[in-house]
Amino acid sequence: MTDEAGADAKLVKMIVFAVGDQEYCIPILSVREIRGFEKTTALPFAPHYVCGAINLRGIILTVIDLAVYLNVEPQPDNPRRVVIIVESRNGTVCGLLVDRVIDMADVNLADIQAVAEEDSSLSGLVMIADRMIGVLRLEVVVGQLVGGMTS
Amino acid sequence: MSGDMDDILLVFFQECEEQLQELERGLSALSDGESGKETINAVFRAVHSVKGGAASFGLENLVRFAHVFESSLDGLRSGRVAPTPEIVKTFLKAMDVLSDLVAEAQGGATVDTARIDESRAELQAIIGEGSGTAGQKEEETVPADFTPVPVDFEPVMADFDFGDFGFEEETPAEAASLVVTFSPHTAMYDRGDDARNLLIGLADVAVAHGGASTVTCETAALPALDALETEKSYLSWRVVLPAAVPEESVHTVFDWVSDVCDVTITRDGGPGPSGGEQPAEEQAAPAEPEQPAPVAEAPAPAPVAASPAPAPSTVAEKIMAEMPPAPTPAATAPIAAGNAAATRRPVEQATIRVDLHRVDDLMDLVGELVIAQAALESIGQREDDAQQEMIKRIASMKALTRDIQDAVMAVRAQPVRSVFQRMQRVVREACSMTSKDVVLTLEGEDTEVDRTLVEKLSDPLTHMLRNAVDHGIESAEARIAAGKSPTGQILLSAGHRSGRILITIKDDGGGINRERVLATAVKRGIIAPDAVLTDDEINNLIFAPGFSTAATVSDLSGRGVGMDVVKQAILGLGGRVTISSVEGQGTTFCLSLPLTLAVLDGMLIVAAGSTMVVPVSSVVETMMVNHKDIYMLPDGANVVSIRGACMPLIPLASELGLGGGGTASLSEEDVILVVENESGARAALIVEDIRDQAQVVIKSIEKNYRQMAGVSAATILGDGSVSLILDVPALVANALGRIDTRPSDVRTGLAA
Repeated sequence: MTDEAGADAKLVKMIVFAVGDQEYCIPILSVREIRGFEKTTALPFAPHYVCGAINLRGIILTVIDLAVYLNVEPQPDNPRRVVIIVESRNGTVCGLLVDRVIDMADVNLADIQAVAEEDSSLSGLVMIADRMIGVLRLEVVVGQLVGGMTS
Repeated sequence: MSGDMDDILLVFFQECEEQLQELERGLSALSDGESGKETINAVFRAVHSVKGGAASFGLENLVRFAHVFESSLDGLRSGRVAPTPEIVKTFLKAMDVLSDLVAEAQGGATVDTARIDESRAELQAIIGEGSGTAGQKEEETVPADFTPVPVDFEPVMADFDFGDFGFEEETPAEAASLVVTFSPHTAMYDRGDDARNLLIGLADVAVAHGGASTVTCETAALPALDALETEKSYLSWRVVLPAAVPEESVHTVFDWVSDVCDVTITRDGGPGPSGGEQPAEEQAAPAEPEQPAPVAEAPAPAPVAASPAPAPSTVAEKIMAEMPPAPTPAATAPIAAGNAAATRRPVEQATIRVDLHRVDDLMDLVGELVIAQAALESIGQREDDAQQEMIKRIASMKALTRDIQDAVMAVRAQPVRSVFQRMQRVVREACSMTSKDVVLTLEGEDTEVDRTLVEKLSDPLTHMLRNAVDHGIESAEARIAAGKSPTGQILLSAGHRSGRILITIKDDGGGINRERVLATAVKRGIIAPDAVLTDDEINNLIFAPGFSTAATVSDLSGRGVGMDVVKQAILGLGGRVTISSVEGQGTTFCLSLPLTLAVLDGMLIVAAGSTMVVPVSSVVETMMVNHKDIYMLPDGANVVSIRGACMPLIPLASELGLGGGGTASLSEEDVILVVENESGARAALIVEDIRDQAQVVIKSIEKNYRQMAGVSAATILGDGSVSLILDVPALVANALGRIDTRPSDVRTGLAA
């Protein structure tokens, strides 16, 4: 949010949101838009964390309930629940249902502390103003949607 | 500049594509015994245009071959050669070589020279020349002789050595030899043509008539070096051709440059050049291309001059009258092509040709839509209760919208001809590889389908036809032994059937050997050794990945990827493949495809609380549930008897895994939808309600989500919500797979 953000290539602007009590962030450049949660159309044989499909101006995309995905108690009555529409690097567009969006933050990539597994949905943890924030790996979260056929 | 060149080249290749199609069409007509003058001319024109364009781009290989091809076709055109089946076959083969050469020029695979030579020799044999080594040798020596020409004469070269310009071959011209003098305008070089190509063309003509040409370059008009303008054309040539050469074949050489080049053709009374005067007086023209070209009065009798456009019209008419009618269209086509190449922008594959009346229809409809919208608006402004009126107007608007949609679809529709015709070549090549004799008959090429579909049909059809030739049709000996004609027949037909396009590929070969198929499938581990399969299921095994019964892997097929890929491609287009095969009589493949990938007539139903779409085309009837007619099978599934016919009952909600507990939740309000797949197998879907019937726009969900069993796509309803489109044939097949109540002949799509 300052001038040096653009100057230093290692700083990445992240959007920070909460799922349950835990906060997570994703690069803001992968976010297309944020919209209110509306009724979804249930999909057959979908993984349990998929809420269903919505219509985004003519494009049909699926919404992932991040709370279910991350094994947190969902908050169906929370009025601040929103859907973050993201586009992953391989072009897949989908929505992430989160409990609330908090703010944006500049994260220095060097500050991210990696977690162990390579293909986990969490790529690391970062400290922003004394809060521990998880950095989501979108490719993993979204990739599971397109991968393979249901049987 | 290079960018421009690339653009023009692109246009050239697009045109080649069109010309090759034209050629194919013409040759097919010829092989069907239709040898009208128009057909032959069309064929000739096509080859000629390719040659003309190729020459402009210096595509040497292509020009050479096209030229030989053209010469042979000329024999056909002049009536010296009759279009017998053998000759047409040679032409077809030559056409394949030609299109490969085009592909090569486009950066494709290099064409085998042996193949070119073979085809060339065949072509030359047709017009009775170049038999054996003589023709071949000439063919090769001539270009060698001419290669230095463009280098030496290139006007931009500064170090001209004038002494070397006289370029003469030793062969003296015979009595009444044909003298051709020509001087290109500067404009010809601007256009990218080259005098060298003309010289090569003339030399080829000479060789074709059993002689050689004598070329003299006239350099009299060349200014001193310091006055030389590098971009201007100064040179002219005098070519003495053997007496046997007819004038028209010389015209042919020049007809695509005749507007930018002065040409005179005379029958010379005696041997040798007629002195320097005549070429000298022509020198004026190239320097000032704007002037009307001189129609040279040569000393010989009956001069025929092919003069450029600016010549006085009377002369032009005279020329027209003297020229045989055929070259005239031939001349206009390449010129038009040349102009087009210069002006038109390359537009990739993004253009379609549409009948004007279709656009007119669309225009009319849009006009009506505007009126309807105005009417609605006026109702909205009225104070009184206008609801009744409103409903009426909206209904008419709905009809209009549908008409407009149909009109737009019609604009996108293209006949399948282009793909079908390509298949002729596929079969031809497959035949020559397998040494079988197969005739491919096309039917219903005019059937129109959405453009996107036309393009995507090509690959699956290619696979299937190759397979039909390689595996379907037996060898000639086996055919004779079976009492069939040694020539195999394959029928490729297209037609509309209830909102879908049906493509059938039918061969009269040996049919599917089910025992062998079964044995192979067991051997390859596709099915369990003790599996009991119906005939239809065995037939469908050939679509299984990794399946091949071919004893040897041939160039054509046998690697066991083909049919699997075909099935996937057809499924990807929303289509189905069915096989029927009678041993000893042949196999029929039926491809059923949607007419469009965009819109669908759907019935809106409710299952598990959400609205879904069932394609109307697959719904047979709807009725209320009568519990008396439902029988439970030992495995827990249900069948319903409808007027005596039993069919599996599919509780849609639980079938899709969206809750609901089978028959337990079956309520009195539920509705039964009797649905049918392409081959007539039926099943009954239990849904909660039928809402409406509407046209829905098909949206793919697979881009952003995985494939779902039982769901083919999704759509967006009027209220903006997402609705799933059900894949009825998959649902039916799934249900039939569990409940074996149907006679085997209606079972489909299970094995693969």
